[in-house]
Parts: sequence; structure tokens; C-alpha cells
Amino acid sequence: MRFILRRLGFYALAFWASITLNFFLPRLMPGDPASAMFARFQGRLDPATIDAMRAAYGLSDAPLWRQYLTYLQSVLTGDFGLSISYFPSPVIDVIRTSMWWTVVLGSVALLLSFTIGTVLGIFGAWRRSGWVDSVLPPMLLFTGSFPYFWLATLALFLLGFKYDLLPLRHAYQAGLSPELSWEFFRSVLTHLIMPAGTIILVSIGGWMLGMRNAMISVLSEDYITMADAKGLSDRRVMFSYAARNAMLPSVTAFGMALGFVISGALVTETVFSYPGLGWSLLTAVRQLDYPLMQGIFLMITLAVLVANFIVDLIYLRLDPRVRTG
Amino acid sequence: MIDKHEAVEILEGLVRKGTISRRRMVQAMAGMGLSVAGAAAVGTAVQPRPVSAAQDSDLKLLTVSEEQQATWIKNFNPLLPVGQSRWPAQAGIYEPMAIHSMFEGVVHPWLATEWSYSEDLLTLTFKLREGVQWSDGTPFTSADVKFTFELLIANEALPGSGAIRSTLPLVTSIEAPDDLTVSITLSEVNTLTLYDFAEQMIVPKHIWENVEDPVTFLNDEGDPVGTGPFTVIAQFEAQYWELHKNPNYWQEGKPAFDGLRFPSYPTNDAANLANVNGENDWGGNFIPDAANVFVAQDPEHFHFWFAESGDMTHLFMNTTTAPFDNVDVRKAISMALDRELALEIGMYNYPFIADSSGLTGGYGGFKVMDESTEAAWVKRDVEAAGALLDAAGYTLDGDVRVGPDGPMEYELNVVTGWSDWVSSVQIFSKNLEEIGVKATVTPLDFAAWFDRIQKGEFQMSLGWSGQGPTPFNYYRNVMATSTVLPVGEVSAVNWHRFGLPEADELLTALGQTSELEEQRGIVAQLQALYNEHAPGAPLWNGPMWGEYTTFRFEGFPNEENPWSALPTWDNPERLRVLTALTPVQES
Repeated sequence: MRFILRRLGFYALAFWASITLNFFLPRLMPGDPASAMFARFQGRLDPATIDAMRAAYGLSDAPLWRQYLTYLQSVLTGDFGLSISYFPSPVIDVIRTSMWWTVVLGSVALLLSFTIGTVLGIFGAWRRSGWVDSVLPPMLLFTGSFPYFWLATLALFLLGFKYDLLPLRHAYQAGLSPELSWEFFRSVLTHLIMPAGTIILVSIGGWMLGMRNAMISVLSEDYITMADAKGLSDRRVMFSYAARNAMLPSVTAFGMALGFVISGALVTETVFSYPGLGWSLLTAVRQLDYPLMQGIFLMITLAVLVANFIVDLIYLRLDPRVRTG
Repeated sequence: MIDKHEAVEILEGLVRKGTISRRRMVQAMAGMGLSVAGAAAVGTAVQPRPVSAAQDSDLKLLTVSEEQQATWIKNFNPLLPVGQSRWPAQAGIYEPMAIHSMFEGVVHPWLATEWSYSEDLLTLTFKLREGVQWSDGTPFTSADVKFTFELLIANEALPGSGAIRSTLPLVTSIEAPDDLTVSITLSEVNTLTLYDFAEQMIVPKHIWENVEDPVTFLNDEGDPVGTGPFTVIAQFEAQYWELHKNPNYWQEGKPAFDGLRFPSYPTNDAANLANVNGENDWGGNFIPDAANVFVAQDPEHFHFWFAESGDMTHLFMNTTTAPFDNVDVRKAISMALDRELALEIGMYNYPFIADSSGLTGGYGGFKVMDESTEAAWVKRDVEAAGALLDAAGYTLDGDVRVGPDGPMEYELNVVTGWSDWVSSVQIFSKNLEEIGVKATVTPLDFAAWFDRIQKGEFQMSLGWSGQGPTPFNYYRNVMATSTVLPVGEVSAVNWHRFGLPEADELLTALGQTSELEEQRGIVAQLQALYNEHAPGAPLWNGPMWGEYTTFRFEGFPNEENPWSALPTWDNPERLRVLTALTPVQES
């Protein structure tokens, strides 16, 4: 219990530090949001119109510390005001529209990649120099070191455009509406194959190697020899004795990755036109949309902290030493 | 063994159900040794793929690629600029009183049928069209027009359409003597305001008078109430939405199809993939090397028209500092530039090269075309440029010229990542080296670049200039003293800070006559003034990207038949296109 309380205190501090950074960092960028809006209008807007838009955004001239206090208040109440790049939609609506698909894509890719990678790592280490161990790691490292943008574009061109096997864009077939039906579900699945598949392809190697290496060092421990000597089944030794201990670093990494799912796979979403949060974040940064940036950053901060907290709890379960320490 | 016709029928059925696409069907048929021409609906190089599950229904929907967004957010407020409100809110759901055509140089009646000035030119009276209804069945009257302008006057943060905001301060009163007449009285004569009043989107009084704050009004509950050809939101998802036709539209039998659909394309690449795939019917995307990348895929159905009527791109020199306050130096620099090469390398030879009027190609009857328009200072001539600089007292000292204000070494600003601009300034930098001017290319992030250029804190930079229904806006932006602000103050136009009192007089005079002939004469004088003083080095026009496919719809304007501008973003002229398109009759 003391462990949990101590962690909670740490998280509160980390939360404050990161929301403060979220406030100040965007404001260090040069320019102002109204000016940034006009990049895409290039001379097609009248000067008087520009003034009107500046007034509409209600940009505050108050001193920075006062803006900071207002900001803290908005964080606590969850009211982030109106987005500038999607003016006058409330920030919360913009985030809600795209967050769902980001979570679907990110968590499917992460879960599959983590699970498959870890299991492959366990088997690879268990049968050293076997087929899994000698062929997969170099192959997966090879695919993993492709520039992601190139790999995704190639997949889109070949599988989507040239051979027309998979859809070119979006999270489901245009014209369908989200509903509990087999048709919709199937559409979501086929639209996930390429975006999630390419992410898995480049990330799975890391999971597998991490797990394999940790597993190998654990396998040389005395208690593994002891377990073998006791005559426990291979399966029991592999999973309950070796893998459980070797998994700790992977679980930490998984927690971190889980937290970052919400920030969106920007390149994936852009290449496959997936309606996620990554593109909104990019727009917000480009157009100096402070309210939207703050909203999205807060979501990311919260997600990372919560994921880490969950990892802490899993540690309690996996590693008895934490409980007493 | 099934026969050919059966096979084609089975495949067609699969295509209809969405199990396979048309492209796969063609491949399958080729695999069976069937000729592609065997199927009735097939027979072209590119097979348009269905965009949505609904495309196989009987509805005729026009697929438009215009805004680049990853997710759609509902916003149908036509008094906010496009990009914030969804694209058809202006000139689609809502309509203006009249529409100015860039190419023809005429104003087409729309919600108003005619307009006239009082004798003193201070009062502008519009006669509204009879029998127009809002999409909820309420009649459209002069009260709506009066209300719209008063709403804009009362809310200074509402951008409105076009340049209406700079016009509104002149309004002293708006009267609606009867249901179909609106009179607007101004405090000073300015006939150019006609365009701003005529092209303002009109909103319904009976809905908007209950809106608490029109600036933050999303207009997103239920279907928006407008007079336009499309008002019914049939579906709205984050990645796709459909807008169907207004059953009460005032033009009999129009629109000739059922509605519009908007798949989201977050990037130009994503939109172009759909273009090349034959999925879009109408778009405003930049396509690199369009003749080969796009049209060559299917010359019968794929078309583009990048009209030369956009905004003029300049190489601006800051005229508040020496030597750029010297017209000969400006002209010499302009003469050093190899515009042809820059266009060929950076811009696929698309746009046309500037002449010495500074005007782009869209100003119909205004632009004077004679030998004066082709003056030497916009033509590349390294020797003449050198001679001009010698005469101005800037002589070669080694590789670089030195004048009374020191060596000619400057920074040439450009926006990071705007590849066409970056490759152009790299060429210009080399060009200027040839005449002994050292221009160091300085790439800046957009925000930083825009901040400096607006404040006049730069030496040389590429930049845009502004456009409008008449050359007024352009000449005001590049050489009126009224637009010159002190260095350090943010200015939306006239970044190079150049002003001529003669230009001010001519610009004022332009607004004091309603006679087109007289206006043309004044524009000719402005053109001569520009030619003499070279406020900047005009380079090329920003082309109006526009493309269309004719699988499903026909009747688009094009280079051979330029009855309207093509680009989807041409506001409000796109209304003329939207109401003119017809579905292709299936034979």
C-alpha cells in the first residue's frame, strides 16, 4: 500500500510538470495562430478579414502568468475552449471525433506486435539456434530498419493501388455507419490490415529480440536448473519460471508504448488516410492552435501516466520483491 | 464451362455487392481470356472504383476533393472562411446576390436580378429574384439581406465573404423598402464595393436572429437552412459525408444530380491517389506533372485546367532600405532572374510567366496587352542588368558589386519545405551571382518567415500579393501609400513597403465611376505606373489548380470553353459549375 501511495505522489508531481511544459513549449514557437492560418490562403484573404479572424480567435494579451492560471483551471475542469484550426468547434469535440480510431489502430497494432513478438522471443530463446531463433531475428530486424514511410507507401501502392487487394484509405468503407453488424466489423478489419500490419512489421523485431535476450540470461539462472531437476514439465519451466521473470523489462516497455498509443501513429494515419488524432496534432502544431495542442498533450500525458501506473500494479503481481521493497 | 456473358454477369454482380472492385473484375476477365470490351460498363483504360457502398445505388453523387482534412467536423457557418466551415457552406448551401466571373469580366445575377446606382453613386440598390425560398420553405426576402449585412456590422469578428469587411465601414444605412428591394448607402463613393456586397453569402433572418453568438455558431444542428442547390446532410461521419440536393431550389430542374460526397483526404498525395484512380469527379488539387501522371492514364476521361488567373508571386525587395529604394536596382535584379528555368525545374512549367503589368491572366477586359506589357525589365538580360547597376553607381569589385551603401550582399528568404519556392530561389541566387549580387538563400519556418515579411524585417523574399475581382486589390497591395506601414508593424499586404501618391489617386478614382470604360482607362494608367516603378519583381501567377473526370459527370468548364473558373475553391463562382453539371447518360 505504501508503495502505491508513493507512486501516486510521484505521478501527481509528474503530471504537474508535464502540463506546465505543455503550456510553455508551444508558446516558445515563433508567430501567432492567426498568421499561421493564412499559409493556406496565400493572398486570397483581404487584410480586413484577417483582422476579423484575429478578433474571432479571442487571443489573449494578458500576461503569461495569468494565462497560465487560466490554463491550470481549464485542465482541472476539462474545458479547453475552442480550437483555432477547427474554429469554432470545441477542442473536446475535435479530440473525441478522432481519438477513437487512433485507439483502435494503435492498440490493435501494439497488442499483436507485443504478443507475437514476445511469444516468438520465448520460443527462440528456449530452442537456441533452432529455426525460430536463427531465421526470424535477422529477418525482422531487416524489415524493422526500413524507413516506415517508405514501407507504408510501398504497401499502399502495391496492395492498395496496383493489385487492389486492400482498401486505399479510411477506417471503414465510406457510406457505412458505425453499428453493431458483421458488415461494418468486417469493413473495419479489412481497413486495419495495412495500417496495423505495417506497424507490426517494423516493431515486432524489437519485442522479439528484447524478450529473447532477457530470456537467455534468465535461462542460465540456477533456479531454472533446479526446476528442471525437480522434473517439472518443459512448458511449466518455460512460462512460469523463465518467461515470467524475463518479461519484466518488456512489460515496462509495453506500458510506455501503451501510453503513447493515443498520440497517434502520425505517418500511418497520413499515408493510409486513417481518421486519427495524429493528423489533428500535426495541424494543431502547424497552425499554432494552442487550445487543441494543450488538449491533445493533456490526453497523451494522462494516458502515459495511467499506463505507467497500471504497469506498476502489474509489477506488484509479477515481482514479489517490489511488494516488500 | 460457363460462357463469356455469364462470367461477365457474375463478376458484375460481385462488383455491385462490393465484394470485388471493377479493377479486379477486369483482371479476372483478362485471366479468363475475355476481352475487357466484353463488359458493357467497361471499356476504358482506367476503371473508376466505387467510392462508397452507396455508389452502387441509383443516386448520382458528385465526389469532390477540396479540403484536406483527416477528419470532418460539422461546421456550416457561411460567415466563417472555408477551411473552418465545410467547403460547400459558402456557395453551395448558401448563396450570394450575384457572382463575378474572372474570365468573362462580368457579374452574373444570382439571388438578385439587377442592381443600379443612384445619381450621386452613393446608393446601391439590388432588386431580388422573385419566388426564391429557403430550404425550409420560408420565402427569401430583402429582410434577410438587410439582416445579413447588419449582422456583419454588429459582429466585427465575423470574417464574411470576400473583402466585405473592408467595405462595411463605409456603410451608413441599409434599407429594405419592399420585399424585393435592398438599398445600401455609403458614406463615400466607391463603386468597387459592388463586388463585395454582391458576393456576400446571405443567411436567413428567421433562423439567425435567434443565434446567440454568430462568431462561434457551428450551424450544426439538423440540416442548415440555405437557398443553395445542396442543403440536406444525408450522412456525416468523421471520414466521409454526403450533402444532398435542396428539394426547394429556385432554379427549375437544378441541380441535375442528387448530391455531393466528400471522402476525407488528409494530404495532397492521398487526394491524388484517388484522382489517378478515377474516384474523384471534381477536385482542386495540385498534381505534379499532370499531363503524364494524371491525364495520360486515361486521356478520354481525365482532364485538368490550371488556369493562369491566380495570385501573382513576386520576388520582393524591402524598399525601406538602400539600394532597393532605387528603381534601377529593382529592375536590374528583376532582369537577372531566369524565370523560365525556375518554372521548368520547380513548377513543371505550369503557370505563365509574369509580364510588366504585374497582372495575372484573369482580369478579362482590364489588362492592356501591347508592347508596354512586355517591357525589358521582366525579361532575362544579364548584360543590360549589369549596365543598369553600373549606371546606378554599383560597380564590380572582384565578384561582388559595391555601391554607396556597401557591398551588394543580401539574404533571400524562403519558406522551408515549399519545394517550388526553394528550388526557384536557388536558381535566382545563382542568377544574381552573375550580375555581382550575392543573395544568400535563407530558408525559414513558415511562422518565422511570415512574421518577418509582415513586419518588413527582410531584405529579399519570395511572396504573394493578393487578388480581387478587379486589379484594384493587386495594385493597392503593391504600390498604394495607404498600405505602407512602418517597419516593425505587422502588415498583411505591401510587405516591401512601397507607396506612390499617384497610385493612391488613381485607385480612389477607380472607385468613383461606375462606367466600365472609364475604369479600364484608370487601370491602364495604374499599369503604366507599375511598369515605370517596378515595386517588386513579378515572377509568375499561382495557378488555379483544377481537375475533373468525365466518367460520371459532364459539363465542366475547361481551357477551350472557359465559361467559368474550374477550381473547386473559386468562391462563389463554383455555384455556376455546381448548377451546370449533368450526369453522364448511360448508353
